[in-house]
Amino acid sequence: MPTYKLIYFNARGYGELARLLFAVAGVPYEDIRVERASWPNEYKAICPFGQMPLLEVDGKILAQSSAIARYLAMEFGMAGKDNWEQARIDMVVDSFGDILQDMRVPYLETDPEKKEALVKQFVGESLPKRLGYLENILKENGGGQGFIVGDSLTWADLGVANSVDYLKLMCPNPFENFPLLAGLVQRVREIPQVAAWIAKRPETAT
Amino acid sequence: MPNYKLVYFPGRGRAEVSRLIFKAAGVPFEDVRINTANGEWPGETKAKCPFGQMPVLFVDDKVLAQSKAIGRYLAREFNLAGKTNWDQARADMILDQFEDIGTEIYKFMFEKDAAKKAELSEKFNSETLPRHLGYLENLLKENNGGTGFFVGDSLTWADLALANAYDHLGGTDAPFANSPLLAGLIKRIRATPSVAEWISTRPQTPF
Repeated sequence: MPTYKLIYFNARGYGELARLLFAVAGVPYEDIRVERASWPNEYKAICPFGQMPLLEVDGKILAQSSAIARYLAMEFGMAGKDNWEQARIDMVVDSFGDILQDMRVPYLETDPEKKEALVKQFVGESLPKRLGYLENILKENGGGQGFIVGDSLTWADLGVANSVDYLKLMCPNPFENFPLLAGLVQRVREIPQVAAWIAKRPETAT
Repeated sequence: MPNYKLVYFPGRGRAEVSRLIFKAAGVPFEDVRINTANGEWPGETKAKCPFGQMPVLFVDDKVLAQSKAIGRYLAREFNLAGKTNWDQARADMILDQFEDIGTEIYKFMFEKDAAKKAELSEKFNSETLPRHLGYLENLLKENNGGTGFFVGDSLTWADLALANAYDHLGGTDAPFANSPLLAGLIKRIRATPSVAEWISTRPQTPF
């Protein structure tokens, strides 16, 4: 078994999907957490693009959160059973990237009036639009009571479940009107390894 | 061989890396370009798009959305994704970096305030882009000195993405003045017969 190190801030953020993969796979790794106040530190020099998260596998480095998560999912057999399923998973995961892009501006806005308007637009329009598409994709997969792609747990399902934690920064119940997605989140969070990780991971704001 | 149909706007944009993958692999595909001008978009196409957006890839009657998911699918089908899971991850990492650069460009590209746009554009060209290209130059150098490819010892879609970025960054050598290895790789890729032919025959588009 290779030696794994994940290096990120002491936050869920862009590192959490990798942590969930390690947890579900039951694979040990060093969960290195850097406090924001002490960044940049000695790790910055080894970051291919100057940013974390970083995955170190027997000393070899990988950057970019999606590339890291996909690599681990492939290694741990949670990436779909063929190239087509892998692509459909990538598609679902990338759509959350789009949601995060939409979320950036309202999240970072400091002027209270502007922020309120931007959050309202995100929560009322752009988020439900994107979640609606995902709800359909889930529904098209055998009715939506199982997984979002294929017939077993993949990192796409973990990505859906993980998204609730950051979407909650914008609204209290992001999947309120999307019962199939909400059901999937529930099922994923009840997986013993996931539940155990959520219970023991450090509590962080983001 | 499956029937491939790539559907996008009349431009390079988020479809061109996939078109380059088809061309480099020598695999035929239907290059569908949908116009907003005459109502073709959204038209009937939007409803077929999993997220209401293009590009989409039809493989026989199955559909895929998200430009990088499409590109990676094609790259894997045509052995242009990297030979091992590790190499594929390294290529993915580079593709994600180009995505980040694109995100920086969009910040000022769609800015309506002229003064703010000029300020953001200046910051991009003088600080952001050189920093990102510096990282990519280092990465390339780490791969056996950087006179070959980004990943491993053969062409991957990461190299095609770089060759494509050349056009997005203005289509001149200027941005790469301080990145000789990147400039060299771009030149090699764009001179590859299948790529060169496509570049010279493809529709000339503003984006």
